[in-house]
Amino acid sequence: MNDIVLKVKNLTKRFPGVTALDNVNFELRYGEIHGLLGENGAGKSTLVKILYGIYTPDSGEIYIDGRKVVITSPIDALKHGLALVSQNPQLIDKLTIAENLILGLTKLGLMTPIRRIYGKLRELSEELGIEIDPNVEVWKLSYTQKQLVEILKALLLGAKVLMIDEATTLLPSNEKRRFYEFLRKFTLEGGSVILITHKIREALEVSDRITVLRLGKVVGTVRPNEVSIDEVRMMMFGKRIKEINYYVEEQIKALVRDKVVLEVRDLWVLGDHGTYAVRGVSFNIHRGEILGIAGVAGNGQNELAQSIMGLRKVVKGKIIIDGHDVTNKDTVKVRELGVGYIPDSPLKHGVAPDGSIEDNIAMLPCIARGIVRWSYVRSLARKLISEYDIVAPSTKTPIKLLSGGNIMKVLVSRELSIARKLLIAYNPTRALDEATAMKVRKMIKRKAWEEGTAVLLISEDLDEVLQLSDYVAVMNSGKIVSLIPKGRIVREEVEKLMVVK
Amino acid sequence: MDTIIQSILAVAPAFTAYYLTALGHGFFEKSGVLNLAIDGVFYLSVAVAYASAVYMGNPYMAIFTSALTASIFGILLAFIVTKLPISHGAAGLSLMFLGYGLGALIGNPAVFRFREIKMTNIEFNINIPRTPLTNVTLLLVSIVACLALLYILKGTKLGAAIRASGEDPHAASALGIDVLKIRLLAGAIGYALIGIGAAIFELVWLPTWQQMHGMGHGWIAFAISLSSGRHPVLTMLTSTAFATLLTYQYLLQAAYNLSPEIAKMTPFIAAIAAMTIFMVTPLRRKLSPPLSLGKIFFKEERTL
Amino acid sequence: MRVTVVRRVKPLPLGNVLIPSLSIIIGVLLASLVLYLLMNIPPSQFFTYVGEGFVSLETLRDFILLTILGTALIISFKGAVWNIGAEGQIAMGMLAAAYVALFTNLSSSPVLGKIMMVVLALILGGAWGLIAGILKAYLSIDEVASTLIMNYVAYYILNYLVRGPWKGKHTYGYIRTDLIPESTYFSTLPIRGITITYEEILLLVITLVFAYVLLYKTALGVRIRILGSNPEALKAAGVNVKLLTITLLTISGAISGMVGAAQLAGYLHRISYPIETHTPYLGYTAILVAWLSMLDLRAVPIIAFIIGSLNQAGRLLQIAGVGGIAVTYLFIGTILVTFTVLRVFSEYRIKLMRG
Repeated sequence: MNDIVLKVKNLTKRFPGVTALDNVNFELRYGEIHGLLGENGAGKSTLVKILYGIYTPDSGEIYIDGRKVVITSPIDALKHGLALVSQNPQLIDKLTIAENLILGLTKLGLMTPIRRIYGKLRELSEELGIEIDPNVEVWKLSYTQKQLVEILKALLLGAKVLMIDEATTLLPSNEKRRFYEFLRKFTLEGGSVILITHKIREALEVSDRITVLRLGKVVGTVRPNEVSIDEVRMMMFGKRIKEINYYVEEQIKALVRDKVVLEVRDLWVLGDHGTYAVRGVSFNIHRGEILGIAGVAGNGQNELAQSIMGLRKVVKGKIIIDGHDVTNKDTVKVRELGVGYIPDSPLKHGVAPDGSIEDNIAMLPCIARGIVRWSYVRSLARKLISEYDIVAPSTKTPIKLLSGGNIMKVLVSRELSIARKLLIAYNPTRALDEATAMKVRKMIKRKAWEEGTAVLLISEDLDEVLQLSDYVAVMNSGKIVSLIPKGRIVREEVEKLMVVK
Repeated sequence: MDTIIQSILAVAPAFTAYYLTALGHGFFEKSGVLNLAIDGVFYLSVAVAYASAVYMGNPYMAIFTSALTASIFGILLAFIVTKLPISHGAAGLSLMFLGYGLGALIGNPAVFRFREIKMTNIEFNINIPRTPLTNVTLLLVSIVACLALLYILKGTKLGAAIRASGEDPHAASALGIDVLKIRLLAGAIGYALIGIGAAIFELVWLPTWQQMHGMGHGWIAFAISLSSGRHPVLTMLTSTAFATLLTYQYLLQAAYNLSPEIAKMTPFIAAIAAMTIFMVTPLRRKLSPPLSLGKIFFKEERTL
Repeated sequence: MRVTVVRRVKPLPLGNVLIPSLSIIIGVLLASLVLYLLMNIPPSQFFTYVGEGFVSLETLRDFILLTILGTALIISFKGAVWNIGAEGQIAMGMLAAAYVALFTNLSSSPVLGKIMMVVLALILGGAWGLIAGILKAYLSIDEVASTLIMNYVAYYILNYLVRGPWKGKHTYGYIRTDLIPESTYFSTLPIRGITITYEEILLLVITLVFAYVLLYKTALGVRIRILGSNPEALKAAGVNVKLLTITLLTISGAISGMVGAAQLAGYLHRISYPIETHTPYLGYTAILVAWLSMLDLRAVPIIAFIIGSLNQAGRLLQIAGVGGIAVTYLFIGTILVTFTVLRVFSEYRIKLMRG
């Protein structure tokens, strides 16, 4: 009797510069909730993305109900009963819920009226215990509602296997509880769940079995009642045990943090859909100070950073850098004041893929004006390459040929070298390996302490925020809900404040 | 009263020609493909309509060949830019030039044939006569086209799929549609309408042909579509404005004592003006273009 | 069997040479096929004309002007600003030069007259580009649509002038302007059969040097290249992208206008009506030249020569009975379509997968 619904054999996936999955073997049984744990970059997301047809494996096989299958696209995956719900709902904002969901119903012809599925949608949402108006445009929904629509979609398309990729992380606790109750009901009716979360405790509570991945390899599969949290942590991190403090705290008495470099007063900024992303945010950052903003992505942090840089319109409020009012002024003016910027999506807003390292440095007005002194640019490029161990054939290589991590290194090193008064850093160590991430954090600390650069650090990595900041602010739903000085931080309290209502 | 109705109906040929072209163009662009080939294919379709009418002796069949030719180009453009990571602008412009070339090579010989036929049969003509019946039919066709497309776009899965492909083809793909198939359909239907519009332009409104005939008028339809936010109903308004201007151009000329060159310039200046007005007003926000219009749709597997 | 397109790990070696060459060859073959099918022109005849084009002395004229224009357009294209309005900008430049030559006293002084013709052509051509630039920078109006429409407007302006206020007094029934004064003629090279002038060669050299210095030695050049790769990154770096866009259209427009003046002073010596039938449509062919050069300045002269030869072949075909400009459009079309598709293969390759 075959009780295995999904089996993965010797699956391998490589990206430029990194092996994401290395000969992974994995089995999912009917009716089970199977937790998938591992730290960032362990390969969990890659595995489910392959199962959902978003990535193609370099080698290996996938079996569903004992039959070998090849999954080439999400449509394929859905046909086989596999559905993925990820942290970022993949819905189209301008369309209504019904319009979004009808797209996946491949059995319906193209001329099917949208109204046809209203009934079924209402039925399913009742089962789920929620109220959904199929005629509402998706951009009007809250984050939680969007996640629920994703589940609705999976049910509508008859999914047998639900793959949940960190989708629960951002739900408020009562919603989360209901969500897990629903998952249990789903498995009792014969469905299976792969649950990816980094909350070890939650995974142990909810799962029937747990598989741990580390650096692309399967470490082991265990039952929750047979292991302790610490044992699981050992499996996830290996010999290294994460420490909160690995910097030597230096008391710099000489640097007087008197001057306010960045002042943000009652800032209101619109998001992309006509609603306010930043709602009345105020804070100050002094010379040499690091203010860390913790919070789940999508609560206004990006819009805040962009508005400070002059890339997004401020509706109300003021931004003052070094005494100059830069509210709604051009990015040119902000940069002239000596501001460095590590943006959220480096490939989108930070570097030009076709340009060489030299070009990407010379494009900054503060480095090159009029006739370019290429010898200077080249020497600067070489300095950055050696300091940060950037792997690149030459300073003239187009950046798009470098690996993701190296591209990030070019961006970060460039910005760190030009930021004088202020540095706005959004996820500065994303995609960086551990050693480089540490180096970057040390550089940021040094810039603040030795050069007096004020730093606004926005990061989704709470550990990073807690390590580097002098003050930690928590941003939730566009507001700063708390501002805590370093000495008084309790991690659990911060996490609680981050949860979106 | 009669003359008023007559004057209104007189606008019908120009109106239908530009409206159907703009309607088809907007429909296609809603699927996310930047359609810069419009003028080339419009010009080609005009030439094909003329040539078909000459060789087949029947203008009504010419509408069909014109629509078919245009449709093929639409499918080609949709295919190239969706299957391959090619810049929409480059692909569109290439097809535009091809359309110009083919159109001239199809139209020129047809002119000779026309003259030959005329010598033996003085009554021969390629146009569809402008009777009140024709005008009313044209208007009805426009209205039917408008309603049909409106229904498809807002009420059917196809419409949802087209708009999804235009907003976010990656998400659309993840949601379960074959973006390529949808864009091919949008290209076929949209360009068929452009072909019909071009045929009306040639056979009803300006039934003549010389080498530059119709060149640039595809761009006027482009502007008509853009300045009405690609909305089937609003495009009727902008089309009416332009059609009125073009139909009564001679009146304008006489009233202001303009040179014919200046008069011919007015629709083009109006096109730029219309686009400017649209972009300057809040209309731009409400009727925003598809978010991924012109963006290269290519599945890149990167971790960053 | 599925066909997927996958990014290459390293770009195709020699792709920059292979792809344009293949595009031209395949494009010309396709054009000859079309001409055979539609116009019954036997390929052998077509290729004879193509061959003649390559050795014809008249081709040199197109070669010089296309090199200048191709360079001008590359400056704009490198910033991903698609200036399709070179035709109109050339026309405006011609207008400016004609004005100076026919209606001012400057024309009596040979040196000053020619300089003023070129300067005013630069200004008017630049202004024509500037308008499109402003429309794009501040109103996000696609520059392809606006520059193309403005081409027609420019034609009509010129036609109006030639037919009206500028109509010549000594034209023997043709609708055209008078001949411009001989003092404003550019001086043709003293070789029999050649139609190029010293002044045009000078303008060519100046343009090439200008473009090279601009793109590779100045900060503006870096910004232009980055603009073509990722305008968002440029904006975040603190560069005024709007101003940059306007600058690109103005510069390429100005240089195109200059070509209009050269065309008038060096060859046409008068403007005839209607302008659409008297222009060699270099403004459009230049787009082909710029693209086929893969936006590399060094390739422009080579490509300009090849395309110029094809243009000349088209003209010879016209004498044989087929509309000349039709052939030009045709091969621009076939080569460009082939090129756009083949271009993909320098960075991507086809992967065949089972299932």
